[in-house]
Amino acid sequence: MEALFLAMFKALVAGLLMGLVFALVALGLTIIFGVMDVVNFAHGEFLMVGMYATLLTAPLLGVDPVLTLPFSALVGAGLGVLCYHGLIRHLLRGPTIAQLFGTFGLMLFLRNLALMIMGSEPMIVHQGILVGKSFVVGPGIVLGATKLAAAALSLGAFWGAWWLIDRTKTGKALTATSLDKEAAMYMGISTERVNALAWALGGASVAVAGGLLVNFWPVDPNVGLLFTMIAFATVALGGFGSIKGALVAGVLIGMIVQAPPVWDAMLRLVGSDAAEGFTIHSLKYTFVYLIYFLIMVVRPQGLFGWKQ
Amino acid sequence: MEAIRNAFDFSDFPRLDMTVAGAALVFLLAFPALPHSSFAMATMIQFLMFSLYGMGWNTIGGYAGQVDLGKAQYVGIGAYTTAVMMVRWDVPFWVSMPVGMALAVGWSFIIGYPLFKLKGHYFAIATIATSLVLKDLFEVWDFVGGAKGLELPLRGNFPDFLYLQFREDYYYFYILLAMFLAGLLFINGFRHSRLGYQLRAIKDNEDVARSLGINVHWCKIKAYAVATAYVAMVGSFHACYNFNIEPEDTMSLDLSVLIAMMAMLGGAGSLWGPIIGASILVPMRSYLGSWLGGQAGLAGLDLVIYGAIIMLIAAVQPRGVWGMVEAVRGRRRGV
Amino acid sequence: MRKTMFLMVALLAATLAFSAAGLAADKEVKIGVLYPLTGGAAAAGRVLRAGAELAAEIANQQMSGIDMDMAKNAGVKSMGGAKIVLIVKDHQGNPQLGADLAKKLIKDDKVAGILGCYHSSVTKTVSAVCERYGVPMINGSSTSPALTTRDFKWFWRTTPHDKWFTKDLFELLIGLTEGKVKGVKAVPRQELNILAAACEKTEWGSHVSEEIKNFAGEYKFELAVNLLYAAKSPDLSSEVQSMIAPKPGAMLFASYASDAILMVKTLKSLKAKPKLIWGQDAGFDKPEFREMGADIEGILTRSVFLPSVARVKKVSGQVNELFKQKNGVDLDGASARSFTGLQTWVYVLEKAGSSDPKAIQKACNEITIPGDQLVVPWAGVKFENVGGETGQNVLGMGLIGQYQMQKDGKIGLEIVYPFNLATADMIYPIKGF
Repeated sequence: MEALFLAMFKALVAGLLMGLVFALVALGLTIIFGVMDVVNFAHGEFLMVGMYATLLTAPLLGVDPVLTLPFSALVGAGLGVLCYHGLIRHLLRGPTIAQLFGTFGLMLFLRNLALMIMGSEPMIVHQGILVGKSFVVGPGIVLGATKLAAAALSLGAFWGAWWLIDRTKTGKALTATSLDKEAAMYMGISTERVNALAWALGGASVAVAGGLLVNFWPVDPNVGLLFTMIAFATVALGGFGSIKGALVAGVLIGMIVQAPPVWDAMLRLVGSDAAEGFTIHSLKYTFVYLIYFLIMVVRPQGLFGWKQ
Repeated sequence: MEAIRNAFDFSDFPRLDMTVAGAALVFLLAFPALPHSSFAMATMIQFLMFSLYGMGWNTIGGYAGQVDLGKAQYVGIGAYTTAVMMVRWDVPFWVSMPVGMALAVGWSFIIGYPLFKLKGHYFAIATIATSLVLKDLFEVWDFVGGAKGLELPLRGNFPDFLYLQFREDYYYFYILLAMFLAGLLFINGFRHSRLGYQLRAIKDNEDVARSLGINVHWCKIKAYAVATAYVAMVGSFHACYNFNIEPEDTMSLDLSVLIAMMAMLGGAGSLWGPIIGASILVPMRSYLGSWLGGQAGLAGLDLVIYGAIIMLIAAVQPRGVWGMVEAVRGRRRGV
Repeated sequence: MRKTMFLMVALLAATLAFSAAGLAADKEVKIGVLYPLTGGAAAAGRVLRAGAELAAEIANQQMSGIDMDMAKNAGVKSMGGAKIVLIVKDHQGNPQLGADLAKKLIKDDKVAGILGCYHSSVTKTVSAVCERYGVPMINGSSTSPALTTRDFKWFWRTTPHDKWFTKDLFELLIGLTEGKVKGVKAVPRQELNILAAACEKTEWGSHVSEEIKNFAGEYKFELAVNLLYAAKSPDLSSEVQSMIAPKPGAMLFASYASDAILMVKTLKSLKAKPKLIWGQDAGFDKPEFREMGADIEGILTRSVFLPSVARVKKVSGQVNELFKQKNGVDLDGASARSFTGLQTWVYVLEKAGSSDPKAIQKACNEITIPGDQLVVPWAGVKFENVGGETGQNVLGMGLIGQYQMQKDGKIGLEIVYPFNLATADMIYPIKGF
C-alpha cells in the first residue's frame, strides 16, 4: 500500500512538473489563437528554432545556455513578426482552411530548412548550470533541474501573460481585438499592430521554452511535431484562447502522462503478473487524445473557453 | 435512374474543360502503352491513389467545408481489413474491399456523431485526435500484428486477379484507373444529388440551411461516410499493392494532411480540384525528391520548396489552382 | 583528296577506338543500392553508402595492401573483369518509395541485383518486389528476425539478426555470474536476476521486446518490466519511473538516436542505479550519443563491428584505414555491414560467373566465404535454410561493446563479448549517475 501511495505522490510531482512544461510550450499558441483565431501548425517549429538558437549561441558567446534565453526570445519574436507580415496577414483574407494549410506549409518550410542547415542528427547542450543536475527531495522523489526551471518559468510566464492582458492598456487592446475585431477597429485600435504583437509574444514565449528545454531534451529538425500535438491538445482542452485554461489543461495532461507507473504499482499490489500489464505505457498519449476528444464532445468550447 | 443520368451529366462545364478532361482520359488509358520508365508508372499509380483520396476528402472538406485532418484512420481500416482477411482466412481482395469499406463507414458513423458537434478548428484538431487514437490502438493490438504490421503472403502465380497480385504494374494501374473513373462519376452524381445541394447550403451558411429544414448534423455525417468509403477503398488497394502495411505508414498524421493538402491545393469543392492537386503534388514529391533529395547538402530542399508553394497558394488563392482558373475565366467574361 | 582520305581514315579509326572503348565499358555489373540518404536516418545512410562504395572500389581495382581475394583482381574475374557499378537511390525510410525505386532499378536500370535497405520495413516491401520479379537481393543491415522466415527464394541476409543479438546479451549475463567476463569476478546471480526493458513501439522495437521476453524465460531471469514506449515522445520519465521501481539489476533498451539520449538523461536525472545498461545498437551506437562523454561510460551496446576489431583483425585494420582516409571516421556497425553486404555480392558474382538471376541464386545458395576475408569478426558467410529460416547467414556473430574512457580522454567502445575477443576489462557495475 505504501508503495502505491509513494508511486502516486511521485506521479503527482512529476505530472505537475511536466504539465507546467507542456503549458509553457502551449502558452504562445493560445495567445495567438485568442487574439486572432488562427491555429499555428508551425508552433512546434518555433520551439525548435528557440532550441537551436540557444544551442548555437551559448558556445559562441561562451556563456551559460540559460543566459542566452533573452536572445532566444528575440529570435522567436522576430520570427513571429516576420511570419505574421510575410504570411499570416495574407491568410486572414481566406477561409479557415487556408489558414490551416498556410501554417502547415510554414511548418514544412521551417522544419526542412533546419534539416538543410543543421542536419538530422539530434543535438543537445552538454554544459551549463542546469545540465545533468537533479535534487533528491524525498524517498525516490527526484526533481530534474531543467524541468524545475522550466516549471518556474512557466508559472512566471503565465503570470506575466495574465498581468499583460488584464492590467495593461496593450492587453486591453488585445482582448478587445479578440472579442470583436471590427468594434476594436472603430475604437482606434490598429488590428495590424495588435496581431503582430500577438505573434511576437507567442513566438517569444515558445522560443524561450525551447531555449530552456534544450538543456535536457535533444533537438533535431523533427522535434517540433512531438510537442505540437501535445500543445494542440493542451490549448483545445483548456479552451482556445484561454490563458488560464492552457495552464490547467497542461497540468492535467502532465498528470495523465505520468499515470502508468501508478498503474504498475497497483498491479504489483494486487500481485498480478506484471509483465502482462505494460500495454498501458505505450498508450499514455492515447489517453491524452482520448480524454481530449471526450471533453470536447461534452463541452465543445473546452474547459475554460468562451469562444466557439 | 436519375442518379445514373446525374453521374454522366457534365453539362455545367464549358466545352474546353471537357476537351481537356477527354484528352487526359485518353492519355491515362494509353499511358502503359507509351514509352515510360517504371518509376513514372509507380508515380502514376500514386497519382491515381491520391486523386481518389482527394475526391473522397472533397465531399466532406470541399462541398461541406469541414476541414477533416483524420482521413488516414480510414485508409488504415481499409488496408487492415484486406490484409487481415487475406493473411488469416485467405479471403480475396474483391470480398475484403467492400467489407473494409463497410467497417470504415460503420466506424465513421460512430465517431462522426460526436465529431460533428464541433466546428472549425475544434473539429479539425478532434479529427487528428481520433486518427491518432486509432493508430495507437492498432500499434498494440496483436490480432492485427501490432507495431510490427502485417505482410501479405505472395501467392506465387502471377497474374492473380482475385487476390490482386501482379508482377507488372500496369495491371494495378488499370484496376485503379477503373476505380478512379467510377469514383469520378459517383462524385459527379453526388454533386447534383440532393445531399450535394444541401451540403453547399450548409457550407454557405449553416443557420440559413437549418432554417430551410436541412438536418445539418445528419447531412455532415452522411458526407463524412461517403468520404470514408472512398478512402477505405484505396486503403484496401494500398495493402495489396504494397504487400506490407504498418500503422505508421497507413494511419500517420502525415498521410491525413497530405490527402487534405492535395485536394485543397487543386481546389476544394470543385470536381477537378483534387485531381489537379494530385497531378501537381505527387510528381513533384517523387521527382523533386529523387533529383534533389539524394544530393549531399541538399537534403530537405525538396520539402522546403514544397512548403513554400503551399504557403504561396494558401496566401494568394485559397481556392487553389482551380480557383485561379475560375478567376481568370471570370475576368475574361467580365471584359 | 589525300587530305580527305586521311581525315576519313582518322575518323574511322576514332570511331573504332570509341566502340572498342564502349565494348570494354560494357563489361560491368550493375548493383542497385537502396539506403535512407535523407530523412531521419540520413546520418546512417551516409556511412552505409560509404561502406558499399569502398567495397566496390576495392573490388574494381587491384590493391596490394589489403588481404582480400577481391582486392587481387580488377573487377569480377570470372566475368572477364567486369566492373561493379553501384546505382545508389534514396528511399527516405519510406516503404512505398523503396518499392517504387526497386522497380525502377530492376526495370529501367536493369541491375543484376539489389543491396539494402537498413529499415526492416523498407526491406520488406523491396524484397517483395524482388521476389515478384525474380531478382536477387542481399541484405546486409536489417535485423528484424521476421525477414528470413518468409520462405523467399530471392532474398539473402548476411547480418545476424535481433534474436542472435538478444541471445548474446543473455550469454553475457550468464557469463557474468560464472566469472567468464574479462576483469570481473563472478557476480552473485540475484544481483542481476531482475531485468527491466523498454523498447520503442515500432516494427523493430516490438520484435526486440518479444525476443527479450522469450530469452528471459529461457535463461530464467525475472523480467519485471517489459514496456513499449511511443518513439520520439516528448517525455520518458514515466517509463523510467516504472523501470526503476522494481530495482532491476540490468536495464535493456531498443531506442533510436534522440530517444536514446533522452533516456540516458532521464535515467541520470532520476538517479537510477542499475548494475548494467544494454542498448540494442541503433541510438546507442551513434556519434551524437557518444558526445555525452563521461555520462555514458560503462553502457553496453550490441554491434557487429567496433573500431577495436581493427586492432585484433589485420584485414579489418587495413580496410578501416582506407575508410578513415576517405570519410574521416572509423568503420562502425552500419558501414562495416554495408561493406560486407557488397563484398558478398562481389564473391557471389565471382562464383556465378554471370549476371543471370538463376546463376546468382545458385551461387548464393552454395557459396561459403571464409571468415578471414571479412572485416567483421564472423566465421564467414554461408546461407542456410535451418530452423524455419531461409537465406540467413549462419556464420555471423554479434559483439557487445562497452563505452570506456580511452587514453586520449575520449569515449570509445571496447569489446566485452564474445569473451575470447575481449579487448578490455569490463567495467562492472557501472558507476551510475
